[in-house]
Amino acid sequence: MLNRTNTPILKSIETIDFVKPKIYDISKSARLFFMKEVPNDTSRIDLYFDAGTMKGNLGIAAFVNGLLLSGTKEKSSMLIHNELDALGAFHESTISHENAIISIYALKENLIPILRLYKNAIENVIFDPQEVEELINDRKQKFRVNMEKVSFLAQRVFQNQLFDGSPYGRVLNAEDYDNLSIAEMKLFHKEHYMNGLTKVVVVGDMAQDEIDEIIDLTGTWATEGISEFEKVLVNRKEKTHVEKLGALQSAIRLGKILFNKSHEDFIDFQVLNTILGDYFGSRLMSNIREDKGYTYGIGSMLAELHETGYFLIATEVGKDVKDATLKEIQFEIERLKADLVPQEELDLVKNYLLGQLLKSADGPYSMIDLYMGLEPYGLDMEFYNESIRKIQRITPERIRELAQKHLNWEDFTIVSAG
Amino acid sequence: MIHFERFKLKNGLTVLFHKDVTTPMAVVNTLYNVGARDESEDKTGFAHLFEHLMFGGSVNIPDFDAPLQMAGGESNAFTSNDITNYYDVLPAHNLETALWLESDRMLSLGFTPKSLEVQRNVVIEEFKQRYLNQPYGNVWLELRPLAYRVHPYKWATIGKEISHIEEAVMEDVQAFFKKHYTPSNAILCIAGNFELEYIEEMVNKWYGDIPAGNLNSRMLPCEPEQTEFREKIIESNVPADAFYYAFKMAERKNQEYYLADILSDALGRDKSSRLYNSLKKDQKLVSEIGAYITGSIDNGLLVISGKLNEGVSFNMLDRALWEELEIIKSKAMQEDELARLMIKIRTAKEFQDQGLLNRAMNLCIFELLGDANGINEEHEIYHAIRPHHILEAAKTILQPRNCSLLKVKATSNVE
Repeated sequence: MLNRTNTPILKSIETIDFVKPKIYDISKSARLFFMKEVPNDTSRIDLYFDAGTMKGNLGIAAFVNGLLLSGTKEKSSMLIHNELDALGAFHESTISHENAIISIYALKENLIPILRLYKNAIENVIFDPQEVEELINDRKQKFRVNMEKVSFLAQRVFQNQLFDGSPYGRVLNAEDYDNLSIAEMKLFHKEHYMNGLTKVVVVGDMAQDEIDEIIDLTGTWATEGISEFEKVLVNRKEKTHVEKLGALQSAIRLGKILFNKSHEDFIDFQVLNTILGDYFGSRLMSNIREDKGYTYGIGSMLAELHETGYFLIATEVGKDVKDATLKEIQFEIERLKADLVPQEELDLVKNYLLGQLLKSADGPYSMIDLYMGLEPYGLDMEFYNESIRKIQRITPERIRELAQKHLNWEDFTIVSAG
Repeated sequence: MIHFERFKLKNGLTVLFHKDVTTPMAVVNTLYNVGARDESEDKTGFAHLFEHLMFGGSVNIPDFDAPLQMAGGESNAFTSNDITNYYDVLPAHNLETALWLESDRMLSLGFTPKSLEVQRNVVIEEFKQRYLNQPYGNVWLELRPLAYRVHPYKWATIGKEISHIEEAVMEDVQAFFKKHYTPSNAILCIAGNFELEYIEEMVNKWYGDIPAGNLNSRMLPCEPEQTEFREKIIESNVPADAFYYAFKMAERKNQEYYLADILSDALGRDKSSRLYNSLKKDQKLVSEIGAYITGSIDNGLLVISGKLNEGVSFNMLDRALWEELEIIKSKAMQEDELARLMIKIRTAKEFQDQGLLNRAMNLCIFELLGDANGINEEHEIYHAIRPHHILEAAKTILQPRNCSLLKVKATSNVE
């Protein structure tokens, strides 16, 4: 008779093969990272520009980013998109506080022709007034739609208070869209795109002469400088509620400035963070979703910035249980500070994290993302081998110590909207 | 080419095995041939609620997730109008843990009252978070019953209304399990670096003794052909007027399905598409516009949706849209336009096929449609499509009497 009550014997993960990309210098400070080991015809290129939302006047960075393919003297935006689509290009532009990243996904034989089209379009963009006006209208409408979402309302106030008084904390208002000038856009484009390329990532089975051509094509944009980011950020320790009439749910954002991978507590804190709120069986999920049924989901994370990082808990809950949820979040944090985590729970989280690490090193696309997560901090793949060892060694005492050190309720910025 | 092996157990379970020697991970994907279309009209949202309960412990194992996490893995699931799909991703050397867990919940659930009570609340919060407390979130709750009069596609997977979920009782849950969660109603796909013999041994060990259960035949009411243009206006507290033109199209296993897919791409997939260029760039009527198909197994919908620019009326949009549709209905597209659409489809497929989980899921879906090898035949189907085929499909599909239009009017724009 088959024994269905006991779990089959488990094997644990001891080592993972981490593969480093090949690195080329594009200029004094810009580099290209190349991962060749792709077993099929797919390829990807990412272009990193020093053109994040912290740069320039409020709103300008996102605007210029949205207008990069809006047309040149020779080609309308329509024609540019026609040509890109004729090569099967999938492309997206993501913008964060610190960077603007253009990512292109294509079959490898089309990657360089697409890059050439992109280069021509970006270099020669004219910021046609009609295109600018259209984008302003589109963005205004999107902004009004977003302002109807409790998650958006909570997030913008949270961001403002978390990065109190810093350019990281600037949030856009509807009227800011009317203060943007084309002259300003052209200047931003020149400074942050034409002379702002910081990194290029290439994944795909490309030949050496193709890599050389990518270096030639992108080299003219390479930055000569090194961009500086704020080292010290301090969150405002405050509790704020944003009222929204008619809302059925309240969004909650709660967090504090913490640290990134270059801090010695980083890896151990990730274990603590996972126990608290970063997997399906986490304490926050078990209590607030699986026991109380207050929410569809709740999670915590440690987000990284160039010089620092922040800890965040986010959820959307029934409007009537907002305060009850905050009470339970506090209860779970205090519990981690007061009691030792049971060994069985800690073992589970260790195994889970090692499994996730194995998954995040599976295949060339995942592997390069792992590496690029280290690169800003001057770390190399040894960091992940060290992570495996630290995860294997961590004790309940260490978890409690970290909770006591980093998770004090009085230190949090707490925002709700709904 | 995606290789696979297929075998069947005596209890009716279909098993697919996809070997990939390059990955240290394994995927266990289980597709149950049950979706929201199998619900009765007074108990909607049940297939999806049930998906939540599948994580509430099985007959011999009190907790589904913890043992999987202990094995370094994770799991999730989704419900559509057609199917319910569960997947586990874990390190390959712990494959057996996933088979142990999945086979036990196929054998029987724990059916604890606590699980039902909590998941009812969780799903109600999901209902609010995704459908009621989002601008335009209720659109599909309105559009489905407008487009479908008889077929169960007329309700959304989340359910028609919250009360159906509130009223779910344990008796319903047990009956639902007994009817739909049988081996013969499931397709299992295992993907990873294994040998076929090992997979056969493991699957027989864990699934072999699950009773076959009753055969479940599906009898769904057939949606009669639409003969009139339908229109509904709702007012909503949103910032901009929005429109949804839903055209009836063929079922998944019909060639017209692929034609409609390309037709929707031509109309509104990318910034090079016809509607984007004509209605947004040239005429400046809309802030956003797109076209897509619902991808359902029974007769689906081709949807054109977007938002109006300020000062533009629904009538202005309507005139311009039908003019554009007349063009695609009267003249076959040029070869270069078709080539542009095809290269995007091919590129997208190459990227989708990269992921182990995607491959396992798609093999199950094609097996459900009749043959897992369909995953390798789609390319040929697309390849054989010529401009005149798409012209014919456009003529059939893009007719007013085949269309249901939902207008969402912003409260602030109501005079």
